[in-house]
Amino acid sequence: MDSLTPTQRDRGLERLRRLTFGAAAGGLIGVVGVGIAAAASYAGTPSSNATAQTTTTTTDTTTNSSSSTSGSDLQSGPQAPTTGSSGSGTVTSGGS
Amino acid sequence: MAVALKSWKALGTSVHVLSTHDDGLDAATTAVRDVLEDVDEAYSRFRADSELTRLNANAGRTIRISPLLATAIDAALRAARLTDGAVDPTIGRAIRVAGYDDDFSRISAEGPHPALPRERGREAFPPERGRAMKLRAWRVPGWQGIRLDRRLRTVWLPHGVELDLGSTGKALAADLAATAALAAVGGRGVLVSLGGDIAIAGEPPSGGWRILVAEDSRARPDGDGDVICVPSGGVATSSTTVRRWSRDGLVLHHIIDPQTSLPTSGPFRTVTVVAATCLDANIASTAAIVRGEAAIDWLSSCGLPARLVENDGTIHYIGPWPDPTSVAA
Repeated sequence: MDSLTPTQRDRGLERLRRLTFGAAAGGLIGVVGVGIAAAASYAGTPSSNATAQTTTTTTDTTTNSSSSTSGSDLQSGPQAPTTGSSGSGTVTSGGS
Repeated sequence: MAVALKSWKALGTSVHVLSTHDDGLDAATTAVRDVLEDVDEAYSRFRADSELTRLNANAGRTIRISPLLATAIDAALRAARLTDGAVDPTIGRAIRVAGYDDDFSRISAEGPHPALPRERGREAFPPERGRAMKLRAWRVPGWQGIRLDRRLRTVWLPHGVELDLGSTGKALAADLAATAALAAVGGRGVLVSLGGDIAIAGEPPSGGWRILVAEDSRARPDGDGDVICVPSGGVATSSTTVRRWSRDGLVLHHIIDPQTSLPTSGPFRTVTVVAATCLDANIASTAAIVRGEAAIDWLSSCGLPARLVENDGTIHYIGPWPDPTSVAA
């Protein structure tokens, strides 16, 4: 085997460094990617969010309009209430 | 404002049905009665033959349930999610242990200490730790363990869980009853009040339905106090000043804090909320009582009109609640 000149040796080492860096970077990207995929697909320990999701994954065929906003915020009415004069009420809202 | 009214008792509380037309009142009343009978059969906690009683007796097993009970449990779970568990349907055992173990009309105002801790023996809960500590021993298990499959209409409760749908269940019943009444009267305006939880449907009277906001739903609607005019949606009031009893001198009420398993002891005694439905109004008003000092910020973030009464009588108005000093109607 012929001996390499210093220039040839330096080029060879540089090529080897590039290949090593590329392999390491590719491996790192792969590890991170697999980790993200695993985290997204593993339910983990029970938490309120995880359980809440469990209870809402199926198609609802029974609920009516009163609960059809399941999962959304509490809904305000289309019109805000206005003030009436004292003594003019027709029904009472109170504790019972 | 001339409206037709019919009142009676059901679900352990007062029922009022109002219609904007006399000739629609009977049909509306019949529709409401039918809904309330269905509700009673589906999720009364005090009927041995209700679906809810059977479900509570079968914790640990998957049970197929009726569409109405599925709807009610779904509504209760939604309430728990939206309030971070402040409104939790798994308080059934806690409220029973606290003494509210029958229709309220049959509960004695005073009585001995709740029986369940005595049955478990005083060794586990030594007397020196106090009554509150004993009650806390039956910690609310939490709504997260409930498994509801709405498509198959099945539910599974963990062992030890007893559901109480009293809070959201009554408000849901008001919404369902108002919807049924509206259909019965052919689109005219109706209002249904179940113990002060109010659902409105159809065309309201001019200016909206006039509602007196009080601490006790038994207050005369034409009495003095804040009156608001509401054209649609729902109004609910939660209060610790009603449905009270005592055991061994300890004053108790019906709103349970799931964090402590005990009746709430926060700064607000009464909260009224207006929302798109009676159910949403009730969720917010109940959660506000439970959340205590955090209620004002939380209600403000919800954007719902609300009125809060502190234990000393100080009143707070939140969001687009109408100015009580400005009479517009």
